[in-house]
Order: sequence, then C-alpha cells, then structure tokens
Amino acid sequence: MSEVGVDAATGPFGALREQLSGAAEEFAGGPRGLPDILAGLVDDVDRALREELEIFPVCHHSPASALAMARRLREKQPRVIYLELCEDLRPLLDELRNCRLPVALQAFASELDGFPQDQAPLSVVAPITEASAEYQAIAYALETPDVELVLVDRSSDHVFQWQPLDLPDESPARSGEDEEDGALHGDAVGIEIGDLRPGFAELEEHLLRHGKVRHWSEWWDQYVEQPLTGADYDTYRQVMVLIGSLFRRLRPGDDRRLTTDEDRERYMWTRIREHLASSGADPSRCLHVCGAFHASSRVEQFGLRSTAGFDIAPRTATRWQYGLIPSSHSAIEAQFGLAPGSVSVAATTWEKALKRTRVKPFRLAGQRGTRKTAAPKPAAPAPSAPVADRLSGFLSNAPAPDGLDEAELLGWSVDIVRLARRNGYLSSTADAIAVFETSMLLAGLRGRARPTPYDFQDAAITCIEKDAVPGRRDVRRLCEILLGGDRIGQVAYEALPPLAKDVFDRLRPLGLALDKRQIQRALLDFATEPDLEPCSDLLWVLRRLLPDDAVRPIMGSRRLGERPIQESWDLAIGRNQRHLVELGYEGVTVEQVLEQRLRKSVHDPKATAATALEAVEESLLYLRSRRFTNELGARAVELLSSERTVDDAPEVLRRVRRLLTHYRATEPALPRWCEDFVTTGYAHYCTLLPTAFTDDDTGVRQVAAMLGFLVSLESLAISLGCDHTQLELAVKQSHPEDPAKVALLWAAESQLGLRPLADLRRRCDDLLDNPMLVGAFPQYLSGFVQALDAVPSLSPLVVELLSKAFGRLPDTILLPWLPRLITTLKEQAAEMLPVLIGEADRTFPATLPAVDAWTPPWTPSPEPPGSLRAAPTNTAVAALLATHREPVSATAALLGHDPSWPNPADTTATALPPAVASLIRAHPRTAEAAAAILTP
Amino acid sequence: MSDELLRAPAEAKYAEELDYLESVDDGPKPFAWRLSPRMVRLFVLGSERSDGLDREIGQKWFGDRSFVERAIVTLASDRGLLLIGDPGTGKSWLAELLSAAISRDSTLVVQGTAGTTEDHIKYSWNVSMVIAKGQSRESLIPSPIMTAMERGVIGRFEELTRSTSDVQDALISILSEKYVSIPELDDDNIVFAKPGFSIIATANSRDRGVNDLSSALKRRFNFVRIPVVTNKKSEAEIVRFRTAELMRRHSIELDVPPTLLDILLQSFADLRAASTSATSDDEKLESALSTAEQIGVLEDAILHSQFFGDRALKAETLASSLVGSLARRSPEDLAVLNKFWHGVVEPRGRKDEGGPWEGFLEGGREAIAKLS
Repeated sequence: MSEVGVDAATGPFGALREQLSGAAEEFAGGPRGLPDILAGLVDDVDRALREELEIFPVCHHSPASALAMARRLREKQPRVIYLELCEDLRPLLDELRNCRLPVALQAFASELDGFPQDQAPLSVVAPITEASAEYQAIAYALETPDVELVLVDRSSDHVFQWQPLDLPDESPARSGEDEEDGALHGDAVGIEIGDLRPGFAELEEHLLRHGKVRHWSEWWDQYVEQPLTGADYDTYRQVMVLIGSLFRRLRPGDDRRLTTDEDRERYMWTRIREHLASSGADPSRCLHVCGAFHASSRVEQFGLRSTAGFDIAPRTATRWQYGLIPSSHSAIEAQFGLAPGSVSVAATTWEKALKRTRVKPFRLAGQRGTRKTAAPKPAAPAPSAPVADRLSGFLSNAPAPDGLDEAELLGWSVDIVRLARRNGYLSSTADAIAVFETSMLLAGLRGRARPTPYDFQDAAITCIEKDAVPGRRDVRRLCEILLGGDRIGQVAYEALPPLAKDVFDRLRPLGLALDKRQIQRALLDFATEPDLEPCSDLLWVLRRLLPDDAVRPIMGSRRLGERPIQESWDLAIGRNQRHLVELGYEGVTVEQVLEQRLRKSVHDPKATAATALEAVEESLLYLRSRRFTNELGARAVELLSSERTVDDAPEVLRRVRRLLTHYRATEPALPRWCEDFVTTGYAHYCTLLPTAFTDDDTGVRQVAAMLGFLVSLESLAISLGCDHTQLELAVKQSHPEDPAKVALLWAAESQLGLRPLADLRRRCDDLLDNPMLVGAFPQYLSGFVQALDAVPSLSPLVVELLSKAFGRLPDTILLPWLPRLITTLKEQAAEMLPVLIGEADRTFPATLPAVDAWTPPWTPSPEPPGSLRAAPTNTAVAALLATHREPVSATAALLGHDPSWPNPADTTATALPPAVASLIRAHPRTAEAAAAILTP
Repeated sequence: MSDELLRAPAEAKYAEELDYLESVDDGPKPFAWRLSPRMVRLFVLGSERSDGLDREIGQKWFGDRSFVERAIVTLASDRGLLLIGDPGTGKSWLAELLSAAISRDSTLVVQGTAGTTEDHIKYSWNVSMVIAKGQSRESLIPSPIMTAMERGVIGRFEELTRSTSDVQDALISILSEKYVSIPELDDDNIVFAKPGFSIIATANSRDRGVNDLSSALKRRFNFVRIPVVTNKKSEAEIVRFRTAELMRRHSIELDVPPTLLDILLQSFADLRAASTSATSDDEKLESALSTAEQIGVLEDAILHSQFFGDRALKAETLASSLVGSLARRSPEDLAVLNKFWHGVVEPRGRKDEGGPWEGFLEGGREAIAKLS
C-alpha cells in the first residue's frame, strides 16, 4: 500500500480517488470500513495497471473478454503468454484443434498415493468454449510461430492438496434439467479461468435486487458484458480489475477460498518469475492472462519486482492421466452454477459481436465446427500508452444498452412460435406479435432501450405458456434452444487416448459412424460375416466396462458354452465419449483394463471365493487368456481356503458346477486350479459342516449348498485323492437342533447309506402323528426341499411328504407356511423345481378322472398278501426255486412270511385274467396262429 | 368513525402513496394509466434507495419480481391477464394492487361462481324501469366489466374457472373486439372499450378441472403462474406484513414472538414436504398449506389470545389453532396431524424443554385429542 500511497494524489486515478473519498465521507454514518474499501479499489486498479508485466484480466464465458483479448493480441503481438490454468495440462492444448468445442481438459487419477484411497478417482476438468478469452490466447499462441504459451497455475495435484477432500466441492453444482447433458463432466472438480462472482450471497442478492435482474448471468450481461463489448482496452482493463477488486474486498475475511486463491496467486507469480529468469524473455513482450479477481491481488509475491518467495509443495506420488473429454454448454452451466442458457447466450453474443465489430478472432487451424479465418497478419506491436483514468467515465455514465435489434427480435418471435407449435402449443401469429410487443414493453419496464435475450425469454413465457405444458419441453426450454441451444463438444479421433482409438479401429468393420451422438444399431450375422466375431468380443467387453446405455445388446447373450449366431446391438459410444476416454486412463486396450479390474476385484480385501469364480467366468467369456484365468482360479482356491463363513456357498456351488461343465466340454483335462478348488472345497466344507449345522447364523440354504458341493462333487474329489470317510465323519459329528437342518442331516445320512429310507419315512410319519411336533413339520419339509439339490434320490420321498402335508396338516399350520414354501421354490427355482416337478409328474396321475381312482404309491397295498405270489416271475427262476424249496422257505420264515407253496395247477388257471381268457376263446385262430409262430 | 371501513380497497388504503407516486411519475404512461409501468412495479414491490424517491414505498406483494413485471406488461398489451396458482398465493391481492395502481379502482369485480351468468359479465336490465320506460340506456344495469370498458380501466374477474364454460366464453368477444353490443336497443347499442381497459382474472390451479378454459379464451389471456412461496425468509415477511395489517384492522396490540413465527413457518414447511412426498390423497392434508393459510392460523391464534386468553400469544394457542384450521376431514387429516405431532414435533419438544416447542407440542396434542 505504501508504494501506491506515494503517488496516490498525483497518479492517473487521483481525481477518482478524491471523488470516492468524498463519497465515503458522505456516508460517514455507514460501515466503518467503507473509506478503506473505496480507496482500496482505486489502489488495486492503479497497482495492477502499473505492473511491469501486462496483466490481462478476464472473466469466464465472457464474450467481452474474448473480444478484448483478440484485439489486444493483434495489437501487442506478445511473445510469451502466461495463462491461469493448471500447468500440467499444457500438453493437452495442442490437441484442442482436433476437437469440436466445447471440450474439457481433464486430469484424472485413479490410483492415489498421498491422498486417501477412498477419494479415488480424482478428476479435474477445465472446460474450454470458443467464446472465451483463454481460447483466443491459446489459439494465438499455438498458431503464431515463436510464441510461447506457459501455464502458470497450480497443478491438478495441488488442486486436491489445497482443497480438503472431506469438504464438498465449492462449485455450486445444480441439478441439471437435462440430466444427460448436465452430467457430461461426471463428478469432476471444475476449474475455470477467471471465476468472477461475488464472494458472499448477500452481496449477490443485493446486486440482483438493485440491478432488477433475476440471476447473476443476467446482471453480468447487463452491467458489465454489454457496456464493455465496445469499450477500448484501457476501459476494459480498468473496469475488470475494479470489479475483481470489489468482489475481493467484500469477501468475508475468514473465507477459506480466499486463502486458496491467494496461494494460487503466489504460485502463479513465482512461476512467472522463474520462467522469465530462465528464458530471459522481455517482460514488455509478455502477457499474463488471469481472472480479474487475481489481477487485483494484494499478495506479497505480486509483480515482477517482488522478491518474496513461495515454497511450492512437491506433488504427491499420485500418477495423473490427461485427456480431453467432450463438454457442453449445459454441463458447464451445471458445473459452475450458472443460469440455464447463459453460456449459450454468451456464444450467441460472441458471434454477434464479431459480426458487428469486425474483429477477426483467432482460431486453431483445423478446428472443427468453426469457420476458417485468415491467419493473423503480423502487425507492428503497438507501444503501450501511459495509463489514463477511464474508470471515472465508465462509473458515472449509465451503461449504454446494447440489446437486440428489431429485425432480430422479430425473427426470434416468429421462430419461437413456430418452435412452440411443433412442441404442441396452440400458438399462432398473434402470439408472435404479442411476444414481440411484450419483449419491448418488458425492456422498457426494466430500463433497457432494447430487449435482451432474457427479456425475450420472459415475454415468450408470458404470451405462450398457458396452464399446462403440452409436450416434453416448456417455453423456457424452447427459448434456450432457440437462443443457440446447447452445444455439445466432441473429441476427435486424433485427440483420443490409445484405448479409445483402438476401440474405434476395431469396431470399424461394423461400418457405423460411432462418433455420432445418435444411437447406432449394429447387426452382426456371424454365418455370413464371420470376421465380425472380434467386434462382438470387443462389444461384450465394452458392455462390461461402460455404463449401461453405452453399449446395449438387443439380441444375443454371452454365456459359457454358447456360440453366437447373430447379435444386434444399440451403440451410443459417441454419447459416452467421456467414459471411453476415462477408460483410456486405465490402460492401452479394453482387455488390459478388464484384466486389471478383474485382478483388482479378486485381490480386494472384501473378495470372496464367489467373486473370484465370477472373475474366472468373466475372464473365460471376455479375455480367453488361459494364463490369466488360471491365475484367477488359483486366487479363488486361496480365497476359499481362507474363508471362515459359508455365506457364499450357494453361489460357489452354482459357479463351480458351471465352470466344471464348461471345462469338461471344452478341454481334455481339468485345469490344475479346478482340481485344487474341488479338493480344497471338499476338505474345507467337510471341516465346516458340523459347525454350520449348529450355527444359528448359517442358513439352511447355505448348509444345503455345502452338502450339494460335497455330495455332487464327491466322486471327482475322491478321484483326486480325497477320502470319503472325511465326509462320513463330518456328518456323524453334526448335531443340529433346527428342524430344517435336522431334515437336511437325515437326507445326508440317507445319501451316505447311514439311514434307510424306511426309517426316514417312519420318522416323518411319527412327526405328522405327534400333535406336539406337527407344528414343526413344515420346517422339516423345508429342509427336505432344500436337500433335493444335494440328494436328488430323495425326490420321491419329498413328493410323498408334500402330498401328506397337504393332506394331513391342519389349516392353521399349513396356510401360514404355504407362502414361504412358494417364495423359497420361486427363488431357488432353477435348482429344485426340475427335480420336484419331474418326480411329481411320475407320481401323480395326469388326468382329472384318474385322480379319483388313484392311490398313492406309498400307501400300503389293500390287496391280500396272496396276490403277491401272482407276481410275474421268470419261469426258469420259479422252476429253480421250486426244485430247491428248503432255502427259500427258510428265508421266507426268517423274513416273517408264511412259507407255503402254491399249487402249480392253480397258478396256470389263475394266470389268465377272465377278460383275456374270454378273448382268446372268442378268437381261437389268432391265438393258435400266434402259438404256431412262437413254438419252434 | 362512520367513514371507517372494515377493509378498505387498496386504492383507498394506499391513496397517499399513490398520490405521491403520481406526482413524481415522469415516465411514459400507456393508455389512460394513472401510473407508468415502472411506478406500478415500484408501488407493488416497494422502493429501493436506488430509485431516488423522497419517501419509502413499502413492499406490498412478496414474490418473484419477474411475475409482477410480466403482469404489468401484459396489461399494457392487448391481452388479458390470468393469474393462476394455488389458493392463498396472493393472486387476488396482486390483482387488486395492480388495478389500484393502474386505474385507481380495484372494485370492478365479477366473482365467478357456478351461478354466474352472462348478465354478470355484460349487462342486465332494471325490470321496473323497463316496464315504466321501455328498454333504454337508463334502464340498463352495466356489469362491472362493462363499466370498466366504458371508463377505460381495469376490470377484475375472480375465480374465472368456477363459472361455467359458456359464461367464460362471453369474455372472448370482450377481449378481442373490445366492445359489447346491446341488441335490445335500436340506437346507441354498442359499448366500446376505452383505452386502458383490460381484465385481470384469477384462477385456482387446484380447480383447473372444474370448468376448463376453452382454447379460444386461453389464447386471449397471458398466464402468469404464481407459485406457493417456499422461501422461508420471504414467507416470514409476508406473514408478518399481513398479520400486522390484520391486527391493525382489529386494533389489537399484541406481540408475536419471533420464535413462534419460526415454529409456524417450520411446521408448514415440514407439512408441505410431507404432502409432496405422500403417495395418496389420504396421506396428505386437504389444505394447500399456502401462505394465506399460515396467516389464517396466526390470525386465529391472535384473536383467541386477545379475547379469550391473557393477551399474549402462546405456543399452545398457536398449536390448537393450527390443528383446528388444518383438520378438515375427520379421520384422514387428523391422522396426518397426529403423525406429524408424534414424529416431528415431539422430538423437538423434548429437546426444547421449557421452550416454545414444548408448549406447541402440548397444545397440539390436546387439540388433536379433543377433535378425535
């Protein structure tokens, strides 16, 4: 301050300073700091303008800034441009020419070192629009030979070092109306060049109220943007620094953001001085482009003459990846809390201002979506004029309004009506007239000579919007579309990371324009075009890695053991460019990324054997790398043996069975890890079985799945060296109490031959007969149902028990249990239902009348024991038994039967049923002929 | 005292302000407007220091500034103005203020009901006079709308959608041709509207389905939708402003503690949030929970305290007044309130022992118990 104070009275701003001091005295009753603030404002402007290195203050998305920049660059022809942008983003700028703006520069880190792991991934985006001063500076520097562009702001790493990660991002993100486009930046932290906005809400509210405008963008447009569009460079500079200084001085003192901003200023000036010292550039041929806020900085390090040092902390070891991602006007508005449509309005204003002022903007050669302009003609750099006060004039005059001209407004009025009609509104020419008239009236009421786009928007809403919105878009949205609409940028092939390029290359055989934002339908017929199979493989990997809507199969699936014949896909890769670019940060090909992700998933501390098996399956499906699959499989074995719970047993069983089937069908021998998995699993589950049976936390389904594993894979396990007695012992050691688990145990015992079926049936009958236990019967039955998977031979018994349960259980027990049975069966339909239904089909009659005559096979036969003897027997056997009657009689007596032998004569007489006998009698010739053939 | 009115129209109540504004107004005035559009806005929304007036003009309507601006320019244009919104959002009050500022007469009002006929919009006859003298201009009784046309001022139509569609359609010719013909008369049988005539109609968006406007009529109105005020700060201002006015009208001098006002605003905000998230009509209160409703609750509590209480507003009284005003349907509304009291007010009451929330809790509980 002292330096400024010396020539305060005599400097170019002496008069203004005096005037403001006078004003401060007038408001002597007001806040105490007022005189300081008012005088300080002038000091800040004075200081910034007298700085040896020319400071160009900018504001984001401001056409006036861009215009002034274009003019100044042509005039001054600087050799070095220092730009307020993360210094590590510099290599990306060269790729900008390959993109259609707006795009965002992105720094991305997924593997953190020095930041808490749970914050990953870290992402910074800096959107670049065409109507911005920074783009002008970049285009000038890259297109003009011998001009150096130096980014001087802190690196992406420092962005996070300086922003405590536990605090939310400060950018006032708004929930976008158009979620799809509003979310183009993902959850990245946005950085902008020239963020200029009041630091606290009260000031902004005050400005809006007094400015009689609705939102910040409108205020800015009316009070700064428009008056400055036509202003000369000095006025522009002084006004911008003044505004920056005002917002700076009216900030709460304990503002954490201010501290960060000051650190950034220290950083920038340190870097600038370092560069000047090393390059020996002439400061008078340099330009420092920074936000107006930073131009009014009061840090000690400000200015080339300052010698104050600043220790720049080293970056963390985090590895940052860089790329360009597509951005859009609405995404920028959403990210930085601007009013919807304001960036589009800025773009329109820029185009208009270019036409009117005939300023030739700078554009990168080959920039897509822009018109070509002639390269800047080298003109002799203009000498810098001494600083003169332009502020007094600017502040004392009302802004000269610069709104729409009549023809433009008329055009818009007609267009909005047409657009509204297309969107279902009943609007007509009368509305166009009304919109035009109302816009004029609104502008008059708001003190503008000509209506602004915002007035037009209000007028259109007033005249066209009625009580309901007929279509998908309301008039406000239609106006936004009309006023330039949302522009969505695109990163061209050349600027994409290798992974994305690889994807586009490999999908080329499909013959689709994948960079378009529309959804593309791909039809793959492998019979006629077998060379499309690699495309299909890639699409499946992309399906696994990209968000759901990016790559969507309409027809076709990929499962183990299936071979595709035809597939059809909906591809929206162009719309999901950001995700593809971000994948590119993880690897060079999608396969590599998938491999990394699978490897990461199996080494995650929360990984289980089931997740590892899933990874194995995915690796088989998508990667087809035997080495990698085996590696994942080995990890699955490791995980299984270290697991202490059996929660995942059903999943493990399902997956391992599928994998075994796959290997048996495709490979001559099982891979080593599969054998290990089965033997380890056998031993592991045998060990855990007794505990699982008694542990209350382990469900019946889990135990059933363990038994399923043990029983169904037992033969394989034994062939690989396991011991059957281990399972027998485990079963014998199990003493469950829960009825369902008891039933499971019985089933297991029956499977192992430790319990005969008759015993099992008797026990169940006892349960049904015992009034004390009948209530628990459904639980036993549930256990048996669960056991079906492990012991399919039990299915006749389960059908029998179910039948008995329906027949004999009292309604009070049966009915509450039924829903649970149904839901269990529904949930696990794949495993149990086929067995159960097959058995039921065998047991129950197929037609309704047959049901009446049906006797269940398990009911004791009503026929006398004698009929048993009529059972058809092999005559040779019968003859043998008849000749040696003694052992047979002894055996029969031992078994408790009466050892009486039938009369052979009776047997022949009773052998033919009466109906057959009468038939033979009626047609003797047939029988005789048959006998003649049969008798040799 | 005989000329004192229970409720003076806006032009009488703010006559002094309007006179002053008219005297300093040098802006261009459309038609025969008494004030320029900027002064109308200033009258409705109040003055700022930057307006450079010698005296302060108070804010009379609280809400988004652009609504007022859009309403004013509509009146200056060829179309009628339809203010649409939930009950109690201040539509009629805005209409009254606008007509008072523009024409110094806000009393030319037609109230739309199921019984409104075309006669109420156009004209009717003084039957005895017709019998005595025959049909003539003297025996004709002009409607408020017709009077407004003749005088070139603003006519108002309250609750437009409550009147039947054929009656509404009588407005179509008035709004487009700007005249009413009187076929019963042989000469002097057309009443032309003078410059400055326009119509401000209000419609309740909750009753939209009752008698929907024809598209021909919709086309002749500009719609300005007034939303329910959800900004707590401006809502507090509205409630304070209106309550002060009511107390002045009743000559009550009673202090409304700010904490109680907070409780009221908070409770309404909570109930509104609950209403929005409710899935069926039974789970939400029948009331629209508008700002006017809050004012009603507060007024009721104030009157109760003034005449039956000890002349100080208590949390208990406020609670019982709130329950009394909002419990309209016997099981449903009471159930919602009961849930609100147990789920939301009770924890607050327990935390705020001895404070106003506790009193509010007690008062509400009692009132709910009495009603159930």
